[in-house]
Amino acid sequence: MSVVVDSLAFRYPAAGAGLDGISLAVAPGEFCAVIGPSGCGKSTLLKLIAGFLSPAAGRIRIAGTDMTGVPPRLRNLGIVFQNYALFPNMTALENVAYPLKLRGVGRAERLRRAGQALERTRLSGLADRHPRQLSGGQQQRVALARALVFAPGALLLDEPLSALDAAHRAAMRDEIRAVQREHGIATLHVTHDQEEALSIADKVAVMRDGALLQLASPQELYDRPADRFVAGFVGHANLFDGMVSGPDLVETAIGPLACATEGRPVGTAVTLLARPEAVRTDPPDDAVNRFGGTLVRDRFLGSLRRYDLAVPGGTILGETLSRGDIRSVQIPPDCLRILPA
Amino acid sequence: MSRSPFLLLLLAVPGLALLILFFLLPLGAVAWQALAGDAIQRVFAQGDLLAALGNSLLLGVEAGLASVVLGVTVALHLARLPPGRRALLQVVIALPLTFSGLIVAYGFILLLGRAGFATLLLAELGADPAAIAAFLYDRPGLVLAYSYFLTPRVILTLLPVFANFDHRQTEAAESMGASRMRALIDILAPQVTPTVLASFALVTAVAFGAYGTALALVGTQINILPLRLYSLIADAGADFPLAAALSVLLLAVCSFLMAVAEIAAARSEADPHVRT
Repeated sequence: MSVVVDSLAFRYPAAGAGLDGISLAVAPGEFCAVIGPSGCGKSTLLKLIAGFLSPAAGRIRIAGTDMTGVPPRLRNLGIVFQNYALFPNMTALENVAYPLKLRGVGRAERLRRAGQALERTRLSGLADRHPRQLSGGQQQRVALARALVFAPGALLLDEPLSALDAAHRAAMRDEIRAVQREHGIATLHVTHDQEEALSIADKVAVMRDGALLQLASPQELYDRPADRFVAGFVGHANLFDGMVSGPDLVETAIGPLACATEGRPVGTAVTLLARPEAVRTDPPDDAVNRFGGTLVRDRFLGSLRRYDLAVPGGTILGETLSRGDIRSVQIPPDCLRILPA
Repeated sequence: MSRSPFLLLLLAVPGLALLILFFLLPLGAVAWQALAGDAIQRVFAQGDLLAALGNSLLLGVEAGLASVVLGVTVALHLARLPPGRRALLQVVIALPLTFSGLIVAYGFILLLGRAGFATLLLAELGADPAAIAAFLYDRPGLVLAYSYFLTPRVILTLLPVFANFDHRQTEAAESMGASRMRALIDILAPQVTPTVLASFALVTAVAFGAYGTALALVGTQINILPLRLYSLIADAGADFPLAAALSVLLLAVCSFLMAVAEIAAARSEADPHVRT
């Protein structure tokens, strides 16, 4: 019940876009999210695993069996599509029962099992409705029940939440995760929403231009991004380009910043990352990495306040719980992370 | 701003007048002539007229079936093309719709007549030109010629339905274990069947009543209703009451077929689970 992708390559004939040797493994019961900007190849990866596209090179193994070149119908995968792809000519119950019908399960038995699956997603009362008579969230739950009812080898989710409004999205997120845990099934979830990926996944793969940039736990991805693209894509970030100018000192556009340079020689070009929640407001006058400036943007978000402080040479993005005026900030040296330039 | 009902009625007068003058009056006159005398009884007393009705129905159903089979195949293919190429091909496909039936008949005579281009080529391969011409100048030839201008109608009515079909549905079915064919039968077919039925009824009605192509291809040698009607009006022995009775019969059958088409189309719209 795992998905292993090994050096998978694919190229679209016309566009030139594609995948360049992607390798990743999703263990049984693990939830892996794949994120990246549109056109990064994340949907292509999903189509290759599902079998709707054939790779130019590389192997795909599902639940231990090599499935490269095997038609989609024999891969035993549960897929939830972006628009759910429910069958409008069938009721919710018939939709969920359809994979069982294909497996030769008798009518009474398959309707019983489909009914159970709908019950588990709290849709029993809507079993006789047609997809058009269901809300987006209800359709989503039918699609999830349909993808899991036949105990597939793995679950693929193709932006399943993008059609829902924000309120339903967060609730569905938890529901998907709960159902996935209950089934203990290896899951690959493609999304462009990094917040969704961080909140739901055991590990996250970040893709760009057909390449896998980093595969790590959400915490590691956020705290130790591989490069400035990942740092900027996952969460909010201050990124300062600079050059090592001395022991534990980097010269940047906003001035010298003290931080651990980890033995990099003077003259090395680097990028410094500081997460906004690490930026401290109104530090003592003698604090290191202290910057005075003027508040140019101030967004009150309820549980926190996100602000832009204009300082000579640039802007510092910070987050604070304080409601007072902000005239100066400190970027603590141990909160600065060095990335390759 | 609301207008008085009187003013609205006044605005409808020209349209109403046209409708009465050119539709209701002629129709009434034909119906009156058919029903006034013993014309209807004469139709049912004449075995060859009833045979003509049967032949026409057979011709309509054959041409309708041939066009629908061909049209569904082409529409399925077109639906999978990128929009630009699809639009281009649609123009080419719609072209036969603009030809008059006479031109279509003439074209087929040039192609498959006794001295037709294709006939001569086939004769080189050992085929008998007389046999090919006999095929063209009889009911099979009519089915061929009718299908030529009916198929585009089928394609153009079906294409939007096929093009708007969400193929992720069949992909989903395949991912669950269905073969390609099984997915098409279980998922696509139930959703497009009402439209295909409506299209079949529509072209069958057209084939049932068409006469220009038939007249040019087979003359009055073949016993079908529109040609019998034609000879009753045009020939020296004109019999207007009988012609009127045949018209009413023709009208009734066509109206019935159109009603079937309308009901099928309406069903597909009203049905909560079929989107068109």
